[in-house]
Amino acid sequence: MDKPPHRLPVFLNLAQIRFPIGAIASIAHRVSGVLLFIALPVLAALLHASLRSEADFASVRGLLSSPLSLVVAGVLAWALAHHVLAGIRHLLMDVGIGSELERARASARLILVAAPALALLLLVWGLS
Amino acid sequence: MRLNIYRYDPERGDPPRMQAYDVQPEAGDKKLLDLLMRLRVQDDSLSFRRSCREGVCGSDAMNINGRNGLACLTALDGLKEPIVLRPLPGFPVIRDLVVDMTQFFAHYHSIRPWLINDEPLPERERLQTPTERERLDGLYECILCACCSAFCPSYWWNPDKFIGPSGLLQAYRFIADSRDTASAERLDFLDDVYRLYRCRTIMNCTEVCPKGLSPSHAIERIRLALLQRSS
Amino acid sequence: MRLFTGQRAWVVQRLSALLLLVLILLAMLALPFASPLDFSAWRALAGGALGGPLIALLFGALCAHAWVGMRDIVLDYLQPRGLRLAVLGLITVVLLGVLARVLLSLAMVALAA
Repeated sequence: MDKPPHRLPVFLNLAQIRFPIGAIASIAHRVSGVLLFIALPVLAALLHASLRSEADFASVRGLLSSPLSLVVAGVLAWALAHHVLAGIRHLLMDVGIGSELERARASARLILVAAPALALLLLVWGLS
Repeated sequence: MRLNIYRYDPERGDPPRMQAYDVQPEAGDKKLLDLLMRLRVQDDSLSFRRSCREGVCGSDAMNINGRNGLACLTALDGLKEPIVLRPLPGFPVIRDLVVDMTQFFAHYHSIRPWLINDEPLPERERLQTPTERERLDGLYECILCACCSAFCPSYWWNPDKFIGPSGLLQAYRFIADSRDTASAERLDFLDDVYRLYRCRTIMNCTEVCPKGLSPSHAIERIRLALLQRSS
Repeated sequence: MRLFTGQRAWVVQRLSALLLLVLILLAMLALPFASPLDFSAWRALAGGALGGPLIALLFGALCAHAWVGMRDIVLDYLQPRGLRLAVLGLITVVLLGVLARVLLSLAMVALAA
């Protein structure tokens, strides 16, 4: 077979592809996972500081109740909620529960809606 | 009807472009392929594959309004205009809507898509009970059109190493076959970070399979078989 | 030995996910009964025979889970081998750092008690 003279083009423009609901839930699972990964060293630092001394404990507490950390906490609450819900969905699908297309679509839709709601709940509960 | 079609001519070497077409469907035109055949009369430089025109040969897979499907099974009714046609995503484009399937078939070949049985040949055929035969339902119907693999993000990122939904469905078709004695070797081959485990159960494959099959389910069964074997 | 495993990584991901789910559920069950923490109560909890190991387990599972997940992302999106190994190395260092920091903090509290 003759080799083509130059590299062939490939169509892979993600903006021109219509992604099903499951793909949206999946990329959100990945994005939320990366966010949680980034938060992990910060969390370890906060844990370390909060256990070190009375003064550091107080400053960690102060940091957590600043307005900026409210936004960060909101994003992380969504990330945690989505990642956990999507994770449960995958664990169930691994053993054949809800892995038929119709039910997988429904559960994808469900977690995409439930995660922000759960995040809001977490946030409100954390503030009170 | 208005169409917008991806054009690429390797002889001219220009980058791919989109070309708008207007074509009048005639009585009896029900599927997208009918329209494409009329278009070809209008512009004989337009290239696409087609053969059986009834969803058996798997030649006319393409990206239709952002989703992969077979032109011959896609009803004109309910298609949003302009109908945007592009080649299968992630596959090298040879010309217009014709893509290079070499790698796709290499993956198919790698799973050894034939019965392996080293037991002595019976006098007539190798028999199966109706239950054993039923296990192949939803697997043997695959026509290798590549709609699924070309809609799978994991396949887009690692097309050279990930077998892809189509090949994995075929792999499970032979693992599930009671007449095949090479299940252990087949599973050994699949236990690999690339070949099988690039799958993230996005289920884009099952979403677009024109035969209504579920490669994601087959992959789930392979993972469970691997798990069962190692525990 | 292969650098990246297929089934083993997948099993680690699933098992750590299950463990994290259990820990999250435990925390959710315990939290309504917890009083607002002050410094000494927090230290007593983290340095305790139950709290310390649970926190260590939590971070251990988080790091194992994060490693597999980040590894998969790298294997998908970063193809050049050098870049791939560099980023994977960085991820490993970050996670080992997290683990070391948490274990040190817990040890510090446990020894002080």
